[in-house]
Amino acid sequence: MKSAMPPRWANRLLEWFCAPHLLEEVEGDLQERFERNVLRYGMQSARRQYEREVLSFLRPFALKRQPSEYPQPILFSPAMLRNYLKIAFRNLARNKAYSAINIIGLSIGLAAAMLIMLYTKDEVSYDRFHRNNPSIYRITSKHLTAAGVLENLQPYTGIFPGPKFHAGVPEITSFVRFKENRKDLKLGTEVKSQTVHFADTNFFSVFTFPLLSGNPKTALQNPQSVVISEEMAEKNFGTTNVLGRSMLFKENEKFEPYIITGVAQKCPQNSSIKFEVLMPLVIKGEDMAKNQNWFSVFMNTFVILKPNANVKAVESKMNRVYVADARESIKEMAEKFNETGRTVYALQSFTDMHLSKELPASNGLVDESNPTFSYILSGIALFILLIACINFVNLTVARSLKRAKEIGVRKVVGGARTQLIIQFLGESFILCFAAFLLGIILIELALPTFNQLANKALALSYLFDAELVAGYAALFIITSLLSGFYPALVLSGYNPVQTLYSRFNLSGKNYLQKSLVVLQFTLASFLIIASLTIYSQFNYLTNKNLGYDDKNLIIIDKSNLKRSEAKLVKEELAKNPDIIDVAPKNGGFWGTVAKINGETQLSFAYETVDETYLPLFKIPVLKGRNFSPDFPSDSSQSVLVNETFVKKAGWKKPIGQLVNFFWSEKPEKYHVIGVVKDHHFEALNREIKPQLFTMKASNPYGKVFIKIKPNTETASLQYIEKTVKRLFPLNPYSYKFLDQENIKRYESEAKWKQMMLFGAILTIFISCIGLFGLATLSAERRTKEIGIRKVLGASVTGIVQLLSTDFLKLVSISFIFAFPAAWYAMQEWLENYPYRVNISIGVFLLTAFISISIAFLTVGWQSLRAAMTNPVKSLKID
Amino acid sequence: MRRSYLGEFEEVVLLTVAVLGEGAYGVAITDELDRQTGRSVSISAVHAALHRLEEKGMLSSRMGDATAERGGRRKRLFTVTVLGSRTLHDIRATRDQLWSSIAPNALPAISI
Repeated sequence: MKSAMPPRWANRLLEWFCAPHLLEEVEGDLQERFERNVLRYGMQSARRQYEREVLSFLRPFALKRQPSEYPQPILFSPAMLRNYLKIAFRNLARNKAYSAINIIGLSIGLAAAMLIMLYTKDEVSYDRFHRNNPSIYRITSKHLTAAGVLENLQPYTGIFPGPKFHAGVPEITSFVRFKENRKDLKLGTEVKSQTVHFADTNFFSVFTFPLLSGNPKTALQNPQSVVISEEMAEKNFGTTNVLGRSMLFKENEKFEPYIITGVAQKCPQNSSIKFEVLMPLVIKGEDMAKNQNWFSVFMNTFVILKPNANVKAVESKMNRVYVADARESIKEMAEKFNETGRTVYALQSFTDMHLSKELPASNGLVDESNPTFSYILSGIALFILLIACINFVNLTVARSLKRAKEIGVRKVVGGARTQLIIQFLGESFILCFAAFLLGIILIELALPTFNQLANKALALSYLFDAELVAGYAALFIITSLLSGFYPALVLSGYNPVQTLYSRFNLSGKNYLQKSLVVLQFTLASFLIIASLTIYSQFNYLTNKNLGYDDKNLIIIDKSNLKRSEAKLVKEELAKNPDIIDVAPKNGGFWGTVAKINGETQLSFAYETVDETYLPLFKIPVLKGRNFSPDFPSDSSQSVLVNETFVKKAGWKKPIGQLVNFFWSEKPEKYHVIGVVKDHHFEALNREIKPQLFTMKASNPYGKVFIKIKPNTETASLQYIEKTVKRLFPLNPYSYKFLDQENIKRYESEAKWKQMMLFGAILTIFISCIGLFGLATLSAERRTKEIGIRKVLGASVTGIVQLLSTDFLKLVSISFIFAFPAAWYAMQEWLENYPYRVNISIGVFLLTAFISISIAFLTVGWQSLRAAMTNPVKSLKID
Repeated sequence: MRRSYLGEFEEVVLLTVAVLGEGAYGVAITDELDRQTGRSVSISAVHAALHRLEEKGMLSSRMGDATAERGGRRKRLFTVTVLGSRTLHDIRATRDQLWSSIAPNALPAISI
């Protein structure tokens, strides 16, 4: 009869805490009592009593004081450590492939993780270096319709909020307005267009940008003064000792000297404010008097709050000030534009700005960043590291069969389990350390490419930052533990008797190993699908027919180009036979409002062109006609509109319809003379909007488009540069190619594409080297089986099949998890694009094909080698 | 007078070991205590007392033979040492002396 068993956990507990020399009698007594109790009170109650008894043995006398009755060497005795190290190195050296797989995999994983930590650290450290840091806020505003629906959320303000809120809200101790502009800068005879930032005079007391020379308090007091950056000074004067020297900037068509009153240290790279040239912001008194200016917004306004100010309270005070001060204009707007909505001002913490999606850093503030990018990058890095750790676990456990004898011997001569665990963990630490060093080298190699992709200027020298070092150390320790802990537990648990008889095999079906392989390939397949989808979307965006011809088109910026000047440019350029045609156009696309069908208002892109523009771009006019020099009235009475405009306006017969520019000094009315075919004048991440073309003579042009003959770029560009510089010697000259500009619109997609591709390649690579290792070990383990099969007449193909199907099955299972997840994620991502590809079944088939064939190549090669070995060799051993 | 360094529970356990003679081990002592005094004590308490008594030199022990009913584990059998015996006798003498010194009727009568 099998005697009744007391609760296992209680026994375990007892064994763990009870002193070894007492254990036997205690256990005996408990067991004896237990058996009697079972007979007397039944199993349930006996077990409960047993548990109680065990717990009551938690008394000082019974607690372990000595681990065993024999003395043990201290845990980290130098002799044993030396032995562990020696064995570890011998093992690593003997299994070069295994060590290489682990070290390479882990180093790539660690490098990826460290790189992302570097990146994230940089992202979250933005704008935190200012001394006023937590109390700097940016004024934002939102516009609500009469019904309270949010219509517009923006971080822009005009000239009023700063000074008026400062005066009306006691918590606001100071304010700085900041905006960007371009100014023409004359250097010798050269004129170049220079980005210039304007700020209020107290800029340097609000923001912490140390000056190399000059007085930060007074540097911006004189309207004709300028503070330049270190680099700017070096570039233009060859020295930073330039205080009091002057620079010529164009002001009202004339170059005027500005006195350098300060040289600023290079702006930190994690700063949203980066300036080369800083000038005082000058607001004219008459502008301050115009109440309407509440509605003209074009710059950033920063305020400093008192340290203990309540942001919500400040916001409501701001709005009270606004409503009181702007009353007159609000009324006027309501009357003139039938505007019944309202504007609400709010505050955004300066440090939140960098990663804000709704209110990004813009208008002179740089490096705005999408936090999603950080998440995705961290996700990929984590994937890679996880896969590398999985490799380590799988390989170590699979390979442990070979070390079973060592473990057996260690146990027989008295090695305790803890010692074995420490030994194996130690080995994983050694491997991880090697991988860590290699990882740092990898980062150094990858940084330039990564910086380019991520638009950063990161450097390895940041590693001296205490937080990062701590982070890296933690990463190293976590990785070592993650990869080493499970194998150490498994390995140290082997039964020495079995291992020494060499009848030992890993018991069970090894589900853990299998599920880890499935997990690896799920991640890899996911990334392959993601990169394929992003790739095809990118391809779609860059190759989609935009509705116009952007080939061989050169753009030249020339702001304020008058009619007469445009005519001159055209005539001069037409003299070169390589230049096909020239068309001017105004600068950009802005939302303009006009009345159509009586009172209805429509907003649209307002473009000033001439009659050559549409033919040059090969944009067809569907109905009516293009502008023509034969109709002199075109420039004063006619407009062209695009199809979307017609659709939005709801016109059945667009030709002859009236568009009323009611907001001009005296309302102007135009007739539609033609409908232009819809084309993508904006990036493809936006839907086509209504568009209107005018030839209005008083609108200046801002750009000149030049169509050249194919393959004449060099000569044409030379000619164009010469001509334009001759015509406009006091203007900066720069050119761009339109097709290149169009591709630049998808920089972010291109970045994603690259990152995903890198991620996918790395994950599949690391997964495959892991699979390779597993296949090798499984082939080795089954050497004898294969030998016997061959002797009995199995074919090579049969054996390859036998060995690979197991792994290929796992890879196939991974698709079950990867496909739906990837489909969902990519669907979400594509939602952002009005013009997008559909995720086709082909992507999944291709992914399946790629994964399976790569896996098959990896495993098949090993299997083939095993299958080809002469069975005589494999059967002879033993 | 020499002090005997025995707690009440220790004294009872020591006496029980003496009562049991050859077969004194954990469970037997616990059972005997239960039977003789009616107090049900946990094995751990008995073990703790035995352990202390052995440390004080009042008990000596040896491992007995393994028995199947205990899952193949041996018993630790206890015997009272000379010191233990001496201590018990001392305690008894002290008590007797004290009893004999009590004046008649000094204790409140206990009704039957």
